[in-house]
Amino acid sequence: MSELYKLTLTEAAAKLQAREISASDMVGDCLARIEATEPDIHACLTVMGEEARAEAKALDEKGPDPAKPLWGVPVALKDLFCTKGVKTTAASKMLENFTPTYDAQVVTKLREAGAVIVAKTNLDEFAMGASTGFSAFGPSRNPWNTDKVPGGSSGGAAASVAAYQTPGGFGTDTGGSIRQPASLCGCVGLKPTYGRISRYGVMAFASSLDQPGPMARRVIDCARLLKAVAGPDARDNTASLHPVDDYDAVLPMKVKGMRLGLPKELWEANIDPELDGPLKAALAKLEEAGAELRPITIPNLKYSVATYYILACAEGSTNMARFDGVRYGHRTKDPRDLTELYVASRSEALGPEVRRRILLGTFALSSGYYDAYYKKAARVRRLIRDDYFKALEDCDFLLTPITSVPAWDFSKEHDPLTAYQLDLMTLPVNLAGLPGLSLPVGRGVKEGMPVGIQLVGRHFGESALFSAGLSFEEMFPPLL
Amino acid sequence: MPIDLKIVQSTASLARLNLAQGLEPEQAQADLEKLTHELATIVGYIDILGEADTQGVEPLYSPMLEAPGAREDVVINSNTTEEILEQAPDRIGSFFAVPKIL
Repeated sequence: MSELYKLTLTEAAAKLQAREISASDMVGDCLARIEATEPDIHACLTVMGEEARAEAKALDEKGPDPAKPLWGVPVALKDLFCTKGVKTTAASKMLENFTPTYDAQVVTKLREAGAVIVAKTNLDEFAMGASTGFSAFGPSRNPWNTDKVPGGSSGGAAASVAAYQTPGGFGTDTGGSIRQPASLCGCVGLKPTYGRISRYGVMAFASSLDQPGPMARRVIDCARLLKAVAGPDARDNTASLHPVDDYDAVLPMKVKGMRLGLPKELWEANIDPELDGPLKAALAKLEEAGAELRPITIPNLKYSVATYYILACAEGSTNMARFDGVRYGHRTKDPRDLTELYVASRSEALGPEVRRRILLGTFALSSGYYDAYYKKAARVRRLIRDDYFKALEDCDFLLTPITSVPAWDFSKEHDPLTAYQLDLMTLPVNLAGLPGLSLPVGRGVKEGMPVGIQLVGRHFGESALFSAGLSFEEMFPPLL
Repeated sequence: MPIDLKIVQSTASLARLNLAQGLEPEQAQADLEKLTHELATIVGYIDILGEADTQGVEPLYSPMLEAPGAREDVVINSNTTEEILEQAPDRIGSFFAVPKIL
């Protein structure tokens, strides 16, 4: 059988279980596809060809196992998940030669489910960015148009899935880093509820906002991936004990009567005409199908970008403090003393956006500014969280755009503040700790780049999100 | 709060960053001015937080509604010293090595 790489994750899993195809065939085909597309896309920082082939061979020797729902399925992982014995760089010169001594919980769970990790994918350095343009190892390119960014920070994983290198993968989302690249590349992506997936072994950016999540070409594929990795973990005290549902067993939810809250602060934002038409058309189609579109207001939303960038940078600067050149990572040559070892190691190896955020965070946490910035932002975070919870009392979901702009050209550089403001649609969901599902609803008016929409659910409402996502998928055919 | 060159430099020093690392003095000065301008613009924007009424509102540091609670206090042998030290830039025996402090 040829072109196995075109199978969706669920199709591949079924064929593998039924022995219609072997794990070696499936993995081999995806590796060949990676080799063929990488020169154009640069989605991957490390391709685990040898390891993946060996794992697939070992799986084939034992044969399919119904207890392993992802048996033989190739997956891509953002290079922020620690993989024992395999280089994990966070796309930073700081960790260019770093090889973890343990696996992230997501990795352990994926392997338990029978998945084969085939590649570590590109990202903005330490997940700080929205285009992969801040990767120390060069940007990834959008498979729809290689002159355009794939989004970020999990842009490599999104590009890999959209280029049919892998049927699914995992990214992390601190302010939109799964949902935005999924949207710009025409994939489906989920930012789960904070605590749904263990963060053990995921290099930290902002610990109270970070959450790993799946990306794939279908809603049901994301559901399968989530089910495989969700659940408590003794090594991450923020991993919730909340029961893990059979996410992949959900049925499409009736659109008729579905109460969708439309935050006017987001829908009335300055949305690029390229997206505005397809988004409005999607709303009209939903209304026609009987969905109740309810304009709502999130009064404190106007503070969310400011709140987020204080808190994320404060936590980020704290997390980046561990990179001191002493225990692992880059160390400067011949430092005069210990202080120079710290300063020069950090300054040589950390890129411009990471430094900018370290400075912002350090400033917000420094004596004299702590109350005015950090503590104030934490108070406003509660207001924003409460607004979202309140809005979800009267609505089944909130429905919002993912971005106000389509995938942009590499030549276009946003100044830092403008770049931060582009996260407006996604980052409040991280502040509130809620789940958000990003899925395609059409293509841009002139350039034809994918256009995504976001469904925001209640706390641990992933099953409902997938259920609604399935109905959306029936109305808005997948782009991949 | 206005951000100026002095604040940027003192903050960099707190963060153990040398913004001029590896740069010619002229380039370093130009970069510092650009960075200061960027940070001033961002912080100027962030000052919108001052408008939010947070009287009596407790800070929210984590979005978790309930924590799983502490795990049992048992010894787990998770990593060997040797594996970890293999990643060290410099070592002496079973220690991380750094330049002389005293």
